[in-house]
Amino acid sequence: MTSRFDRRSVLKMGGGLLAASALLPRAAFAQSTAINYWHTFTSQSEFAGLDEVMKLFAAAHPEVAVTQENIPNPEFMAKVTAAVVSGSRPDVTMVSSERFADLLAMGALNDLTDKIAAWDRRSDFDDVRFASISKDGKVYGVPAFTFVDWMYYRKDWFDEAGLAPPTTYAEFRDAAIKLTDPAKGRFGFGMRGGAGGQAYVINVMEGFGAKLMHEDGSISLDRDKAIEAVDWWSGLLVKDGVVPPSAPNDGFRQIMEAFQTGQTAMLWHHTGSFQDNAKLLKAGVEFATAAIPAGPVNRVSRLGYAYNTATKPETIDASWEWIKFWGEPDAAVAFLEKTGYFPASTKAAQDERISGNPLYKPAADTLGFGIPSPSFPGFAGWSESVVLPAFQRVLIKEATPEQAVDEMIDGLNQAIA
Amino acid sequence: MAEARITYPPPRTAWDRYNPIRLIGEVSETRYWMYLLLLPSALLICAVVIYPTLYGMQMSFREMRLNRPDLGTDWVGLKHYARMLADPIFWVSLRNTAVWVTSAIALEFLIGLVAALALNRNLPGSKVLAVLILLPYFLPNVVAGHMWALMLDPRLGVINDVLVHLGWLAGYKAWFADPSTAMAAAIVVEAWHSFPFFTLLILAGLKGIPIDLYKAADIDGAGPFAQLRLITLPMLRTVIAAAVILRVIGLVNSPDLLLILTSGGPGRSTQVLSLYAFQTAYKDFNFGYAGALSVVMFILLMGFAWAYVRLSKVNED
Amino acid sequence: MATLSINSIRKSFGAVEVLNNIDIQLEDGGFLVLLGPSGCGKSTLLSIIAGLETSSGGDIVIGDRNVNDVHPKDRNIAMVFQSYALYPTMSVRRNIGFGLEMRKVDAREREAAVDRAADLLQIGHLLDRKPGQLSGGQRQRVAMGRAIVRNPELFLFDEPLSNLDAKLRVEMRTEIKRLHDRLGTTTVYVTHDQVEALTLGTQVAVMKAGVIQQLADPETIYTKPANMFVAGFIGSPTMNFLRGTLEAGAGGLQLRHAGGTLAMPGLEQDASTHLGREVVAGIRPESLHGGEAAAALTGIVDVVEPTGPDTMVVVKVGEQLLTARLGPKHRPRPGETLRLGVDAASINLFDPETENRI
Repeated sequence: MTSRFDRRSVLKMGGGLLAASALLPRAAFAQSTAINYWHTFTSQSEFAGLDEVMKLFAAAHPEVAVTQENIPNPEFMAKVTAAVVSGSRPDVTMVSSERFADLLAMGALNDLTDKIAAWDRRSDFDDVRFASISKDGKVYGVPAFTFVDWMYYRKDWFDEAGLAPPTTYAEFRDAAIKLTDPAKGRFGFGMRGGAGGQAYVINVMEGFGAKLMHEDGSISLDRDKAIEAVDWWSGLLVKDGVVPPSAPNDGFRQIMEAFQTGQTAMLWHHTGSFQDNAKLLKAGVEFATAAIPAGPVNRVSRLGYAYNTATKPETIDASWEWIKFWGEPDAAVAFLEKTGYFPASTKAAQDERISGNPLYKPAADTLGFGIPSPSFPGFAGWSESVVLPAFQRVLIKEATPEQAVDEMIDGLNQAIA
Repeated sequence: MAEARITYPPPRTAWDRYNPIRLIGEVSETRYWMYLLLLPSALLICAVVIYPTLYGMQMSFREMRLNRPDLGTDWVGLKHYARMLADPIFWVSLRNTAVWVTSAIALEFLIGLVAALALNRNLPGSKVLAVLILLPYFLPNVVAGHMWALMLDPRLGVINDVLVHLGWLAGYKAWFADPSTAMAAAIVVEAWHSFPFFTLLILAGLKGIPIDLYKAADIDGAGPFAQLRLITLPMLRTVIAAAVILRVIGLVNSPDLLLILTSGGPGRSTQVLSLYAFQTAYKDFNFGYAGALSVVMFILLMGFAWAYVRLSKVNED
Repeated sequence: MATLSINSIRKSFGAVEVLNNIDIQLEDGGFLVLLGPSGCGKSTLLSIIAGLETSSGGDIVIGDRNVNDVHPKDRNIAMVFQSYALYPTMSVRRNIGFGLEMRKVDAREREAAVDRAADLLQIGHLLDRKPGQLSGGQRQRVAMGRAIVRNPELFLFDEPLSNLDAKLRVEMRTEIKRLHDRLGTTTVYVTHDQVEALTLGTQVAVMKAGVIQQLADPETIYTKPANMFVAGFIGSPTMNFLRGTLEAGAGGLQLRHAGGTLAMPGLEQDASTHLGREVVAGIRPESLHGGEAAAALTGIVDVVEPTGPDTMVVVKVGEQLLTARLGPKHRPRPGETLRLGVDAASINLFDPETENRI
């Protein structure tokens, strides 16, 4: 099979490759250890951030030469799986929270517990930051940065309509209805119903009380609450008509474009797209940020982490230098400034450059009440290949919320069987 | 073998007898030479085709979930195949695969035939046109897919722009968000991308049809359509059969374009077998079930190729 | 059946003139052979008659119908191609009946016509085969079957025998002649083979570079070639050309050449206008014989080629080489001096400047 990319990657690939090529020559001056870093950065701003961190690292650690390789998200697991099975692993691999369980089960990750325990910057991090990369008391990675879910909204439109940013699902829906104006080509909300949209479906289900993972360690989906959630969430399109009709196929690129070109009033994403939005809309004037509204039962704002993990045991020492470097406040803040991604280190997050910016406040708040995404082996596959298509079937009126939820429950039982 | 060997000129010295170049020369005169020449490719095929195929087949009879080492990798017999029979997604994918492959190839064939017939006229400029027409085929699936995703985009898409301006569409249409147009749009993209394959092969086939046949047909009173139906198409039968089989295999096996355009959605309206197998392997990490899906695809393709060759009677002449 | 008139036909591709004012009238039931080396325009002319190519000027009239703007299928003609052009995917039966099928002739009638044609050509046992399963000669017969089945006004043959081996070619030549005798259909036949031309044609048009060199019956073409090109193109071995000066001698005109003087008693041609001038005498090899005659040439034997019925002897007369077709008993040895009798009445005299017959 040939390589494949998702929509967002090709759009940003041009800039990405350019940035990547600028990074390459450094590899030529490798002195002692060369390590290879696999990541899923794709946008121009992400590459700019990576470039910045690599520059800082090269200055601080001339003895380790890092070469980076971009693995587009949709093929990431396929490539990593192939690399693990064939023994051609990269030295360091970026692992997002939801992929940890699968990769650990596959035996892709190496234990970093002792190195982390002895690390002088360990105390900069809250313990909870390591929760999604730990299993049975062992820790397998260091958070490089945080995906803090939040909301972007058109401040100018909200002001014009005399609306305040919504804090609950109900207010959110009201605002979306009020701001939808077909005559102006405006929709209240840019729903991600295409690739990647599964996360939002799960978040809303949990917001309505249908938690996936329970206190006792069991995994299940509350049918009634899930139905209520799917009905509400899909209703934004099929009943209220407050999201663009293209929603069933809208992935990252489409929801971003819709917001940036003034077709949608609200956008749910994480802080990583802040700089990209700020390039096309005036931050603080045309758009502002808010925390994700609270659901009727739970407040579900995700805190996800991009962890750096050591995937090749032979080079673990050199890899460790690179892995822990992302915890340096200078590196974390430099990365934030290029991208908008929040530092995982509490100390770095307290940096004046962050705490002094009001636009970052909703993210800082979210760090307080945000929760990690569910994580268990099979979760990623189930959510992508069962939850999303089932939900899409509701969006295109091919299934009722009841049918979709039953499909999800069947799939879940198979995934965890 | 010794008597079959032609030695010319005869060895002059003792060393000559063991001169490797001379020995190769001698072997090259025997009928074993053919097997020797085939050996490297045969080994390569064994290594990269037969072994993985057999490996994939045995995998389909095992439990093999990479993210569930707790389940082990024991033989499970026909478990995966039994599950497939009861798996609604499999049946939807099978049906979609049939629609996808049949429609796309019918369209590709038609466009390809028309283009080839046009190019075969050797009118001025047809060389340049030939290159232009072949261009889509040179684009990798990924690039073609993204290009069309943008052209058909509900917000930025130039195609929506054009159709709205022509008054054929009331407003911008999200082609891939509507199950009634998603498959059709994907088929158009696929046909656009691959019709040059048919053009190329049919054009080569057309060059092999003696021009005298058309002269004879002119005199015999066969019009253009009768000539196409009774001379051109029958004469192209072998070429068309080869093209169709190659294209069917390619299309059934490759999920690229649909992965980019729709990921099988919305819902499962564009879910096809290759995509399902791919997702089962690399999203669910269930290599056993993915293996079983691939084996079924393999069998379906073998069956198709066999039936098609039989029905199209390419082996007759 | 019909007459054929080719009136001032011209054809040019850009600046290249392929056919230059061709005028031929063919009588009903006639057999016209277009003969010439490759590139002379004969096949182009045939295509124009068939309507497969358009002319740049002039008219084609079949019967009393000007067919310039008539589609090939409506010209009521049939054509046999050098490649036979049989439809490879159809049975012989369908091949032969294809023209009728396209004309919507009812199936039973068609069947009968195909059977008749097949009987005539003795290919009844091949009807259910595909062309690929036939030998060259069989294909040739099928191609002819396809032509005759429709009973057209005009048969067109485009070098039909040149893909056959020598023996078959002779056989099929006879077959075509027999067919023409029997059907009497007006025929135009293109070939580069002079034997075919002379044996088959009632009229032969010898062409060169798009121009008709001579249009006449085969005998005239052979015995009174209009120019040195025709003279040299027809006959095998080719006509001998002996250069010399025309003089008045005791018994009439005589030719003084480098090797002596050739008396030409009984010369049919009136060449008195060229007295004292340089001329070329065309002498067929069979006009030279071993016996005594009033006219004679003496030369030195160069090469002797026995062919069975004849012995070809190349003789050097002066500086010029002449070929004589002698009886099988003549076996001169190279280097020997040989005296050859000449049948002076058959000599043709040409003007060396215009190359035309005087």
